[in-house]
Amino acid sequence: MSDFDPGRRRFLGHLGLAGLGALGASSFLSACASSASGPTASNSSGAVTIQSNLSSPQAKAAMEKLIANFNTQGKGTASLNTIASETFRTQLPTYLTSANPPDLYTWYAGSVANDYASRDLLLDVSDVWKSLGDYPQSLRTLSTDASGKQIFVPMNNYWWGFFYRKSNFAKWGVQEPKTWTDFLALCETLKSKGIPPIGIGLGDTPWVASAWFDYLNIRINGAPFHRELLAGKQRFDDPKVKAVFTRWREALPYFDPKGKAYPFQEATTALLAGKTGMFLIGTFFADAAPKDALGDLDFFRFPIIDPAVPLAEEAPTDGFFASAKTANPTGAKALLTYLSGVEAQEAYVKASSGIVLPANPKAKASDSPLVVKGKAMLDEAKELTQFFNRDSSDALQPTADTALTKFIDKPDQIDAILREWQAGAEKVFKG
Amino acid sequence: MNKLRTGGFHTGMILLSLLWLGPVIWVVVMSTRSFDDIAAHGVGSLPRSFTLDTYRQAWTDGGELRALINSMLVTIPSVALSLGLAAMAAFALSRFRIPGRRTILLLMLAGNLLPPQILLIPVSKFSELTGLYDTLWALIAVQVGFGLGFYTFVLHGFMRDLPGEIQEAATIDGAGTAQIFTRVMLPLTRPALAALGALSFTWIFNDLLWAITVLRTDDNMPITPALLGLQGQFVSSWNVIAAGTVIAAVPTVAVFLRFQRHFVSGLALGAVK
Repeated sequence: MSDFDPGRRRFLGHLGLAGLGALGASSFLSACASSASGPTASNSSGAVTIQSNLSSPQAKAAMEKLIANFNTQGKGTASLNTIASETFRTQLPTYLTSANPPDLYTWYAGSVANDYASRDLLLDVSDVWKSLGDYPQSLRTLSTDASGKQIFVPMNNYWWGFFYRKSNFAKWGVQEPKTWTDFLALCETLKSKGIPPIGIGLGDTPWVASAWFDYLNIRINGAPFHRELLAGKQRFDDPKVKAVFTRWREALPYFDPKGKAYPFQEATTALLAGKTGMFLIGTFFADAAPKDALGDLDFFRFPIIDPAVPLAEEAPTDGFFASAKTANPTGAKALLTYLSGVEAQEAYVKASSGIVLPANPKAKASDSPLVVKGKAMLDEAKELTQFFNRDSSDALQPTADTALTKFIDKPDQIDAILREWQAGAEKVFKG
Repeated sequence: MNKLRTGGFHTGMILLSLLWLGPVIWVVVMSTRSFDDIAAHGVGSLPRSFTLDTYRQAWTDGGELRALINSMLVTIPSVALSLGLAAMAAFALSRFRIPGRRTILLLMLAGNLLPPQILLIPVSKFSELTGLYDTLWALIAVQVGFGLGFYTFVLHGFMRDLPGEIQEAATIDGAGTAQIFTRVMLPLTRPALAALGALSFTWIFNDLLWAITVLRTDDNMPITPALLGLQGQFVSSWNVIAAGTVIAAVPTVAVFLRFQRHFVSGLALGAVK
């Protein structure tokens, strides 16, 4: 089935570009758009619409439950509108710039949200944050735009790590590595046993390789440099970036050669079947695992390369923002307050099968050993980054995909690849 | 020798049709596997499980009933309206000496040569201006608008070749223009209308692009975006999606079987003109 995917993705990708075009044209079009009186314009006491990209059955059911709960509380009414996540991604700019947009949206925190905020498309939700005093500072910073107001309300986050099967590690007689040297030694051991040590899935899902780039960069150069690089304040052809790839080359011989051909979902299958040793991936991959394998999963943190660099981890944060044009800001904020509360977050974590950590520090995460370990790892981190596209933009992601896939194929051409990457990134930053 | 050739022909054709049917069979088989089976052994492996629960999941959780109704609500009026309008336009353009008729026809055809992608944003903004955004009316209007040029072109070619004497005879018998159109031209154009009807049904039914451009509420979505909606953000239940695809294919297959004959003639419609 995945064979059909690339065409659709590429096709939707074009749609996405078209959508971005809509943003550019919006200032011109808003003049005519605002003159159209929306026929379904809800009055200030009307139902709040929440546009959701959580289309997987469990997550969708969880959201339906939350909205139903909210509606029984008498603080307003809300209706849920679930759109296929791929469609949502490409249509979001259109939704936000339309004359009569939906009120709330599920989306990502950080630079993606800030980008919309800088176009005055997002509602100031500082009021909601007044009741979120106990949220960690890192989440507050992540939800604040350039002008200092909060525009995002986080729901949950998750982590990335090297996942493996406990039973397989026991069978092979190997331990979790702590440092890069340990890690390479582990790879060598696995390889000598005839197992491709590092699984990856780049066919159809080339963005998975960005996790390697992100992690190597925050381990070698640190999170601040990484953020600046992704914001266009540093150059991809910098020697510091090249150092990342020099490290990566040490691990490259241990990658599963088949990983270029299949998507990460099949790489998950390969890992579970013991055809690869370990797999650097986000916790969402567990949704692609059969239920009986879940208890056997464990992970370790991306190995430390330079102990002097403050520890940073990737923790993509999901949540909500509201349209600046909402007809019912009070209702939208009431719903946001409810969604950021302990009760809603616990209900969501319980109902959705995914391994996620609630954003509210008082809400209890699932008490499975895996989640406890993941939470401890994030708590220990000095800095949190999210993921390549979330810390930059969806427009920069393809430049990374091209560069990284090329590097994995032809590591000795790294200088040319980085030059091209810088050129591609400059085009994106110029808009 | 002759026997050998027939045998060779049949073996070759059987292999060829298997090649064509292979993906279809694969999807049907996948729709009967359980999620854990696919997750443990991959989408390409032989089935180790059997379940029909996937169809229930696609039907109820995926909201396919609602989506199929929406699809029909869009497809049937769109086909009827666009063919009706195209037939009228083709009649006028092919049978009357309207000034600039060639230009009008070429303009309609030229519109078809534009890639629809470049019109996504204008269409979306325009449907907002007219207040039709996020209604099935918008989708019907778009489908009619984009089909009209091509259908008119095809029907124009067909009607132009009908003998002029029939029309003259009807005029002598006292028939007005409207009567000639409904009682003489339309019955004679039936083969072309049937072929175009079958083709446009599948085109409109299978369209995804316009549906996601002018609609944003899940209750309004026709079947194609609903199928897309079965995919998760990262991980998809391929078995449920396969089951949903099988269900979604039923109406088009039914139309195809019913109008099979016209499909083939429809493909040849433009060929001899």
